Amino acid sequence: MRRGDLVQLLGPIGLVVLVGIIGSLGFVSPDRQVEILGALVSVAIVVSLYVFVGNSGVVSFGHVSFVAVGAFAAGVMTIPVTLKPTITPGLFSLLARHSLGNVPSLVLAALVGGVFALLVGIPLMRLSGLSAGIATFAVLGVTHNILANWTKIGPGPLTLTTIPQTTGMLQGTLGAVGVVLVAFAYQRSRFGRKLRAAREDPAAARAAGIDIHRERLWAFALSGTLCGFAGGLFVHQAGTLQAGDVYLDLTFLTLAMLVVGGVGSLWGAVVGALVVSALGSFLLDAENGDVGFVNDLLGKPLWGGSRLVGVAAFMALVLVLLPSGLTNGREFGLPRLPRIRRPVRGSAS
Amino acid sequence: MRALEDVTVELRSGEVLGLIGPNGAGKTTLVNVVTGFDVPDSGSVELEGRDITAWRPHRRGRAGIARTFQGSRSFGGLSVRENVQVAGLGVGASPREARRRASRLLDLLGLASAAEAPAAVLSHGQERKLEVARALAIEPRFVLLDEPAAGLPEAEIPQFAEVLRTVRDERGAGVMLIDHNMALVMEVCDRIHVLDRGRTLAEGTPRDVRGNLDVTAAYLGESAIPEEGQPDADR
Repeated sequence: MRRGDLVQLLGPIGLVVLVGIIGSLGFVSPDRQVEILGALVSVAIVVSLYVFVGNSGVVSFGHVSFVAVGAFAAGVMTIPVTLKPTITPGLFSLLARHSLGNVPSLVLAALVGGVFALLVGIPLMRLSGLSAGIATFAVLGVTHNILANWTKIGPGPLTLTTIPQTTGMLQGTLGAVGVVLVAFAYQRSRFGRKLRAAREDPAAARAAGIDIHRERLWAFALSGTLCGFAGGLFVHQAGTLQAGDVYLDLTFLTLAMLVVGGVGSLWGAVVGALVVSALGSFLLDAENGDVGFVNDLLGKPLWGGSRLVGVAAFMALVLVLLPSGLTNGREFGLPRLPRIRRPVRGSAS
Repeated sequence: MRALEDVTVELRSGEVLGLIGPNGAGKTTLVNVVTGFDVPDSGSVELEGRDITAWRPHRRGRAGIARTFQGSRSFGGLSVRENVQVAGLGVGASPREARRRASRLLDLLGLASAAEAPAAVLSHGQERKLEVARALAIEPRFVLLDEPAAGLPEAEIPQFAEVLRTVRDERGAGVMLIDHNMALVMEVCDRIHVLDRGRTLAEGTPRDVRGNLDVTAAYLGESAIPEEGQPDADR
């Protein structure tokens, strides 16, 4: 691996670790710590999403499905066996009679996310463009309704509680770093390179022997695995879970993060997740009346719902001003390109 | 209407076959049919005796049939070097082997100085050369070049002709060349196949074809072309 490649990795990892360290400092309030930890989990989710969307160029509105199944798997399987009959009655007895530790539950979440993505991807990855996007969205709807109603695999319409909150600042940081490492390794691998070529020009990629369906399917399954894992972090951070937590709002938020940072780069996914998390936290605090100058300015807290509106407006602004996102779709510290003369484009065709 | 009618073309190993004809003659369609980007309503494509008509394009690529495209089809966001590397990876070469091929081909095509630049900033002529390098990176047994010299400065044409001969002689590949630069076609091709309005108008050595007045007529767009050359719209 060339040195320039390692520099690309330094930015995302360094930033995540920095945020993790800041979150661990003694003077940071517990509320703020929750927000910072949430931001790290968001990094994990958005980078997982990026593995598919960024490399394939195909938008997926359904990736939160994989976060959701991971979160429910990890949540349901870590509740103490003795509490399960009250928290989530009606489980299959296999699920009701066993519980897992924290780390095994994260592995399970990743597996469930990956297998689900693979199964869903087999038919879906044959689609492209708008139909692929809509189909992934349909998957999200189906997944949500199953999770919100089927009480044999989860709480159904109830809220899952008493989930061990084992994802602290250290696990959140390590989890996000791990996802970034996998994403980086993938995009530098032959599989990642082939998929990125297909993103740039599908016809030319096929002429070069690249099986686009297959490459997309690998990316989709890997991305689903990472999303499932991130869902495990999500649920172990929150401690409670209901189907609505991993549905439309999260889908919008994570896509906004990816778009704001820049869909085309890993660095963009990390930056976008952190910037939008910070903005969202600020607006939420302002809604709750915790931001002094907003209270003074308006004479009252910010209107409820300002968070999603604010994030949406910010995303629209970024899209207008910087269509390729805050990072312009570049990786961190990309070595300066050699200066080459820009010849006049020929007119012959 | 039919884009191609009763056309039989054989591309042999170790030759450069020119495919010429006026615009709309069906040259690109023929390339698309051979490489799997267009599926013919009837007729077949064979690779060394095997019927590959039903194969998808990427499978034909792996079987050693490479092509370039008429338009700009580089992987714009990737560097020039990566463009060539990824084609090697596409047909299953190891990353090390793909790197080796890329270095060699960038040298061959004279693109080494621009290797690390994003392909999107290349001039039209350079981009055509990049496409040729990419096609060669799959180490093809047959390579179909759709107007590869368009946009190349006249001064670079002899060098480009040399590249084609290298591919033919050193790799023993069969090269099909579509180009409007008749000097290049006449100089480098072993055989020439002339298409007009979806039909074969003539085929033979450059000398034979040059002597064929019909060809000249078709090329100049003169009305000397016989009426039966019209594509049959109703069939």
